[in-house]
Amino acid sequence: VSWRLGVAAALALLGLARLSPAALGPCYGGRLTAGVPRIVLGSNAAQPWVAREAGDALVGRLVHEGLVRLAPEGFPLPALAARWSAAAGGREWTLEIDPNARLHDETPIVAADAERSLRRFLRSRSPAAVRLAAALDGGAAFRKGATALPGVDAIDARRVTLRLLEPLALPLAPLASPAAAVTGARGQGAGPFVPVLPVPGSRLALNAFGSHVRGRPLLDGLTLVALPNPEERRAALRAGRLDVVAGEAGVGRLTATLLLVLDPTRRPFDRPSRRDAVAAALERETLAALIPGAAPARGLLAPHLLSVESEWPATRAPITGLLALTVADDVPPLLSQRIVASLTALGLRTTATAVDSAVARTARAPAKLILWSPEVAEPGLALRELASLAPVPRLASESLDAADAEIDPDRRRALLVEADSVLRADRALVPLCVFPSSFAARDGVRGVRLDAAGTLVLEDAWIQP
Amino acid sequence: LTPSLRTRLLIAFGLVAVPPVAMLAASASSLIASSLEESSRRRLGDALGSARGRIDELRREAEARLAAVAREDLAEPPASVADDRTVASAIAARRGFETFEIVATTGRVLSSHHWSAGFDLPEQGETLADDPPLRRVAVAEGFGSVPRLALMPSRSARWRGLPVTIRGGPLLDAAFVGGLGRLMGVETGIYDAAARSWIAPPDSPLGRWTVPRFPGLEAEGVETLGGVVHRWAAMRFAGDVWLVVGAPRTLEAALSERFLRLTLLASLAALAAALGAAFVLSRRIARPVRALADAARRIAAGQRPGAVSAAPGDEIGELAAAFNALGEDLDTSRARLVQAERVAAWREMARRLAHELKNPLFPIQLSIETLRRAAEQEGAGHPEGAARFARLFRESSDTILDELRALGRIIEEFSEFARLPRPRFAPTDLNELVGQTVALYRPRAGQVLFETLHDPQLPLVPVDRDLIARALGNLVANALDAMPDGGRLLVRTAVAAGEVRLSVEDSGPGLDAEQQRQLFTPYHTTKRGGTGLGLAIVQGIATDHGGRVEVRSEPGRGTSFALVLPVREAPAP
Repeated sequence: VSWRLGVAAALALLGLARLSPAALGPCYGGRLTAGVPRIVLGSNAAQPWVAREAGDALVGRLVHEGLVRLAPEGFPLPALAARWSAAAGGREWTLEIDPNARLHDETPIVAADAERSLRRFLRSRSPAAVRLAAALDGGAAFRKGATALPGVDAIDARRVTLRLLEPLALPLAPLASPAAAVTGARGQGAGPFVPVLPVPGSRLALNAFGSHVRGRPLLDGLTLVALPNPEERRAALRAGRLDVVAGEAGVGRLTATLLLVLDPTRRPFDRPSRRDAVAAALERETLAALIPGAAPARGLLAPHLLSVESEWPATRAPITGLLALTVADDVPPLLSQRIVASLTALGLRTTATAVDSAVARTARAPAKLILWSPEVAEPGLALRELASLAPVPRLASESLDAADAEIDPDRRRALLVEADSVLRADRALVPLCVFPSSFAARDGVRGVRLDAAGTLVLEDAWIQP
Repeated sequence: LTPSLRTRLLIAFGLVAVPPVAMLAASASSLIASSLEESSRRRLGDALGSARGRIDELRREAEARLAAVAREDLAEPPASVADDRTVASAIAARRGFETFEIVATTGRVLSSHHWSAGFDLPEQGETLADDPPLRRVAVAEGFGSVPRLALMPSRSARWRGLPVTIRGGPLLDAAFVGGLGRLMGVETGIYDAAARSWIAPPDSPLGRWTVPRFPGLEAEGVETLGGVVHRWAAMRFAGDVWLVVGAPRTLEAALSERFLRLTLLASLAALAAALGAAFVLSRRIARPVRALADAARRIAAGQRPGAVSAAPGDEIGELAAAFNALGEDLDTSRARLVQAERVAAWREMARRLAHELKNPLFPIQLSIETLRRAAEQEGAGHPEGAARFARLFRESSDTILDELRALGRIIEEFSEFARLPRPRFAPTDLNELVGQTVALYRPRAGQVLFETLHDPQLPLVPVDRDLIARALGNLVANALDAMPDGGRLLVRTAVAAGEVRLSVEDSGPGLDAEQQRQLFTPYHTTKRGGTGLGLAIVQGIATDHGGRVEVRSEPGRGTSFALVLPVREAPAP
């Protein structure tokens, strides 16, 4: 009997051992290969503030680290800054650098690194930087070229103080921008992975950074592969050449808004009635139904950032004329075709011209169709970023300013909803549907997720043995 | 310049040969060009017909498929169709439609294959014609849609229990048009005059035709497209839509050019043959004619012409034979004439010699007879016989001596005439020679008034100075002899027309016509004691110098002799 019990116990142990890795949780080791549509920068990954593509945003997220991160609710979380404190009635914020924070060359990160990085950030084209500079003491002048920046001060080796002109609701939220990443004097990052083998435009190999502020990543390394063709990415995933594919239907999160941006200063949309007619002609439900996982847009932002309930005009007054529509090349063609068809049915003989997605945001056009996601997943900053795409009605500006100054979360949210409503009512920004950012991973790949901005997070990924 | 007979013959042959060949070449070239053009036009017309036939065939196929769709597919939609929006695409894939749509009676698109984004929107297509059923439809492309022409017959059907219209057929796009063109071997395009756009393959030259104009229902013409001349034909397809076919005229032009080259070569060959024949014939004709001319010139120069050779049997041969016979007769006559002149000359010479010798002999005879009689009388003891004999002897011996001297002079002159040397030419200033000669005769002038007139432009002339001086002296002496009672004598030099003229003009009694005719006859003289050889010597000297002696005279108005010498290189000795 004892002999039989021994054999049964051994078999049970073997079975448990077979199941144990999953049951035991994350484990270290292994390399993961991720497919992304494009990697434009590649070897310039050390400059996260110029990232234009989703692939580059992912690289930035892997290579760099900021002073703070944002919680899904929009509140700041410690990153390189271990803690912070407010003073002077909320006009002075002092951030203390984590003593374990290291750059990729193992140099300890000091306050001077943070100050230098903040000065670089404040002069960047980041909308979050614009907002922070406007709030900082001397920030506006600094952006215009002044060297003095009293609003940012490294008071000792570990602490940096931000001095604001007025108290802000979430003063540290702009620091969660990828462009605000802290880098060394030679551009070295502090993110969870170290770039080791860049092949510009096509491939980037990274190794785990053992001294990362939140600890070593579980993976030994990562390889990002650029595959522009979705079919090719899908096939590579099926064939096992890729472990994770960004942009592929799978795990998704509504993060991007399909926006029709009309220029109210130019014909034919210089009249509000025409903008109303266009907004009414585009059926959001129909558009959303064309893309799996998409939803009709209610407000300008994704619902998890700012949930609103809205009504859209029902009038369909015909408009005649010609319309040249600029379309960002990351907009699904089927959606663009449907919008062109709807506008043509309205009476506008519409021709669509595709341009690079980053170019489309700044292009001057009577109408442009863009797939927009915020730089920082915080509704106040996101609405301000959106407001930079079109002339902002005075009421909207007032609401945004009031929201920035409002500490109470509920009242702040109400003000943001009001700003959203005013911005939409002008019909210069016409949200059509909300898009999911998504990824697909092969079996056995765990811990991959999307952040609030829709960027793939591979820091906690691990491979099931 | 008058061209030679051979040249004229060559030109004549060329003129006769080239125009017909050129006319033939031009006619043939024109015929070929028009034939090629007609062939090209027919080919394009056939291509249009074929294209139209192919379109009708596609229409019938599409209509048959639509009937099948109405009968089968709409009654039982494919099981894989999850959404009505995609029904059209499923049916199109099953039936092979490039365009297919289901439209409600309200005009809303229920499902569209080619414009999948247009479901539930008012249809945006536009029917351009019913035959063929041509529609301009929106076709999804890129991030929007583009208008395209499609052959879309339609029919009524029922779907989901509702009446609908279904349409479907091929797109008339560049690929379709390119296929038609390849099938027919011509450039093919569809021109939408309303949109001013071409549907043609990217490399088609028709696409480069910016603003074509097609009047009427059918048109044709020639147009340069992409630097190449094309012949085209167009047929109104529907509304402002034209089906156009074209073909480069490269082949046509190449054939025309090749034929033109051939005709040019043929013309050149004909011309060469004509000129060759003309050359040979003209040579055959001109050679005896030229030989005849040369022979005639020799005859004119007093030479023996020799026989002229020519092929017997033709006119030229007969002419040559006649000329040869004439030459032989002329030789015979000339020989006879020479013989007669020689006999006459000898007779004349004998007569003159007898006459000249007889004249002195008679006084001698008389003197001798007188002396004999005087000697006989002295012998008879005539008292005054000795004194008379001595006187007669002296007188008679004087007479005999005088006549003997005259005989000697006569003999000397004859001897000199016979010994007249061949001239030795040397460039000579004739003005100076005239001056020296005149100076020799001035002492003999007596009552004669001497005048000289020199031409300062007189060139150096190659003459024998001594012979010319003798001839000029003879002329001056004759003039002085003609004016024993005085008068005026003018010696002048002049140059004109390549000749030098030395003239001696006197104001003597002049010569009548008979005297002028006898002037140069040897031994004819009007002067007592003259030998009649002076002017003959002058003429001989002039002839030896290649010149002549001219005489102008009228009775009572004096006489002018001119020694005319050519200004040229000295003749060969």
